[in-house]
Amino acid sequence: MESAEAEPSDSRPEEDGAAPCSGLPPPEQPGATMEECLAKKMEITVSEAEKRTGRNAMNMQETYTAYLIETRVVESQSEGQCAPVDSLWRRYSEFELLRNYLSVTYPHIVVPPLPEKRADFVWHKLSADNMDPDFVERRRIGLENFLLRVASHPVLCQDKIFYSFLTQEGGWKEMVNETGFQLKADSRLKALNATFRVKNPDKRFTELKHYSDELQSVISHLLRVRARVADRLYGVYKVHGNYGRVFSEWSAIEKEMGDGLQSAGHHMDVYAASIDDILEEEEHYADQLKEYLFYAEALRAVCRKHELMQYDLEMAAQDLTSKKQQCEELATGTVRTFSLKGMTSKLFGQETPEQREAKIKVLEEQIQEGEEQLKSKNLEGRDFVKSAWADIERFKEQKNHDLKEALISYAVMQISMCKKVCLACERPGCCICRLTGDQMQTFNN
Amino acid sequence: MSGGAAGTPKPLPSSGPKSLREMPHPLAPSSSEEMGPALTPSPDLLLPRSIADKDLSLPNGTPVDTSSPASSSSLLNRLQLDDDLDGETRDLFVTVDDPKKHVCTMETYITYRVTTKTTRAEFDLPEYSVRRRYQDFDWLRNKLEESQPTHLIPPLPEKFVVKGVVDRFSEEFVETRRKALDKFLKRITDHPVLSFNEHFNVFLTAKDLNAYKKQGMALLSKVGESVKYVTGGYKLRSRPLEFAAIGEYLDTFSLKLGTIDRIAQRIIKEQLEYLVELREYGPVYSTWGGLEVELSEPLEGVSACIGNCCTALEELSEDMTEDFLPVLREYILYSESMKNVLKKRDQVQAEYEAKLEAVALKKEDRPKVPTDVETCQDRVECFNADLKADMERWQNNKRQDFRQLLMGMADKNIQYYEKCLTAWESIIPLLQDKPETK
Repeated sequence: MESAEAEPSDSRPEEDGAAPCSGLPPPEQPGATMEECLAKKMEITVSEAEKRTGRNAMNMQETYTAYLIETRVVESQSEGQCAPVDSLWRRYSEFELLRNYLSVTYPHIVVPPLPEKRADFVWHKLSADNMDPDFVERRRIGLENFLLRVASHPVLCQDKIFYSFLTQEGGWKEMVNETGFQLKADSRLKALNATFRVKNPDKRFTELKHYSDELQSVISHLLRVRARVADRLYGVYKVHGNYGRVFSEWSAIEKEMGDGLQSAGHHMDVYAASIDDILEEEEHYADQLKEYLFYAEALRAVCRKHELMQYDLEMAAQDLTSKKQQCEELATGTVRTFSLKGMTSKLFGQETPEQREAKIKVLEEQIQEGEEQLKSKNLEGRDFVKSAWADIERFKEQKNHDLKEALISYAVMQISMCKKVCLACERPGCCICRLTGDQMQTFNN
Repeated sequence: MSGGAAGTPKPLPSSGPKSLREMPHPLAPSSSEEMGPALTPSPDLLLPRSIADKDLSLPNGTPVDTSSPASSSSLLNRLQLDDDLDGETRDLFVTVDDPKKHVCTMETYITYRVTTKTTRAEFDLPEYSVRRRYQDFDWLRNKLEESQPTHLIPPLPEKFVVKGVVDRFSEEFVETRRKALDKFLKRITDHPVLSFNEHFNVFLTAKDLNAYKKQGMALLSKVGESVKYVTGGYKLRSRPLEFAAIGEYLDTFSLKLGTIDRIAQRIIKEQLEYLVELREYGPVYSTWGGLEVELSEPLEGVSACIGNCCTALEELSEDMTEDFLPVLREYILYSESMKNVLKKRDQVQAEYEAKLEAVALKKEDRPKVPTDVETCQDRVECFNADLKADMERWQNNKRQDFRQLLMGMADKNIQYYEKCLTAWESIIPLLQDKPETK
């Protein structure tokens, strides 16, 4: 467990390159582009957090936290060569911008989520304050994890904007905005519309969407209950701390039992105090789960995008059929459906053949255009499904691996906690041995 | 080695011909306590008991006469060897078990079976089994307090449950009370003076205790006069330092135990609340497991593991409620009895001082100190000696009990953590297997 991240020393990146200090397992990327990953070429750490005060766009005083990103290029695998460490400061809102950009630009990718903006699912002892040092520290770890995940993603790692996020402090925001990614963003309303109107949704994506909904609800339930469990456990331990004082006060009036009681009291104090570490450690486990809670949202974004594309495709197809029908009507002169056009033609007499010819020509052009469009949309859709599904497969594997690791570390944590308590009880010099020792002494006398 | 019988010259009234050699046998199974190395108690150890016993049986029996300073000193001797000799010198074994509910038109109550096995000459038979209810125990305790005012009488469990929520006839309540009543009788049995009390004998043996109770009532009114003390009015000139210290000790002691009792109860409450949450926590993993393919097994494993931890915690809480709390309660009540005895002692001393003062005023009239002042002084001294002996005894018991209690508690906690440990360790392979097979 790393708590104080005060100085960004040169020795740090070496250990961090191998194992990110977040405690999260390094994101493993199955895939061919493994060697291309930025993560292999560059060591990335978020090494420090600093509270700052500045003025925002409205010229209002605001306090925020800035995070120091340190990068170091690894020059091949040759040893001894130590490239200089580059560092720059970013704040949370810039991370958010980066992620927005990535998720719009790469709609077929399950973009790694950011750590929570506000502390959520906390048990009462934990502060929900954004400026709380513990929260800032946990967020620092989360942000680092985010960068590492992006850097080791086979596609995202090659993004230029991401690269300059890491290396170019000034002018980055302008650069992102220049890409005009916001224009490509789909509105929520449109997406919602698509959800209800899609006629032939892809079964796989529907299932995936259903899964991500369930995953989100089960993890959030889990986190809620865990917070309550932590609360109660804290209570159980802390009440034991009350023993400490009574035992030591009691020991003052006892002769033979005095020492034993005193150490029993001390033991209780230690026991009560141990919960702080236990729960702090458990918070990392909660953070690991939270990451996947947010991943569920990212997964859903991909599904949403797919729905939207499917909807567009269906709309285009529909448009095309109606145009084809119109064209046919004009060509044959029969009106199959009751329409305004039909009415007007009845009321105002037949169009001239020339007019009809021209109309048919326009329609035919439109149809051709539409057909091409449909073709390209179809192609686009197929491509999307293909690449999205590849990334989803990658994500699933990553998820299974990560969560297994998380569960193992959770179990190991529980084991070490149990062992600690058992050892503390069996250690010589503890209350029990003292009390027994007293007894032995009275026997010997 | 059956002490009391061997020491007394008295002939055994009815079971006389019964050989002493076969007597210990019925006792053997019930002596669950430590069987130390076979030590032969010296006869002088047993002597004070028989003296005390004989004096007790005197009809007018001013109880203060029962133990002379000499007897107390040998009592001290005995106490020092207490740990070693307990198992050997015991010749009276009493157990309380088999609670039964009686439903009458007037009232519903519980009776407990009181089984006695003994080799003492004061008992006609080696074995008795009677049924007694709480009221009878209460009667016994009152009788003991009346007839042995200089001794510390063990406490009975509270008559009424403080909070009306608890069902008096529930299994847990009856079992807790049975344990406390058993402890009460065992404490009396272990006491060198109280165990020879005539009322105790009757309580253990009489077929019809109520008849005896009625008969005793008439007798008491006579005896009662001599037992009564002058209450209040006099202030002690000098309370001996050691008794003042005992008083202070008891005040702090009961205060601390009260706090510990409250803490223990809160811990149990917190644990139960923790248990409620934990019971919800486990199944969530199981639900999650239902969503996943590859992770299904590990998640189910975690769920089952949390379930096991729940069971272990439940056991721990039960043990705490059943074993830890009653001992605390007993000692809280014990210190109350102790305070009562101290008060009585103060009264006896006050009486003596008052008489002494009166004599000093009339000194010119009578050259010699009257005998009643002397007996009064004796009484104070005997009282002091008895009390000191009992206190020491009590301290000894207390040390042993609390050692056992704290060790037991630590042990139970360790067991709990070990169970959780095994549960968590058992799922590690479940979590690790998969990556290897990949």
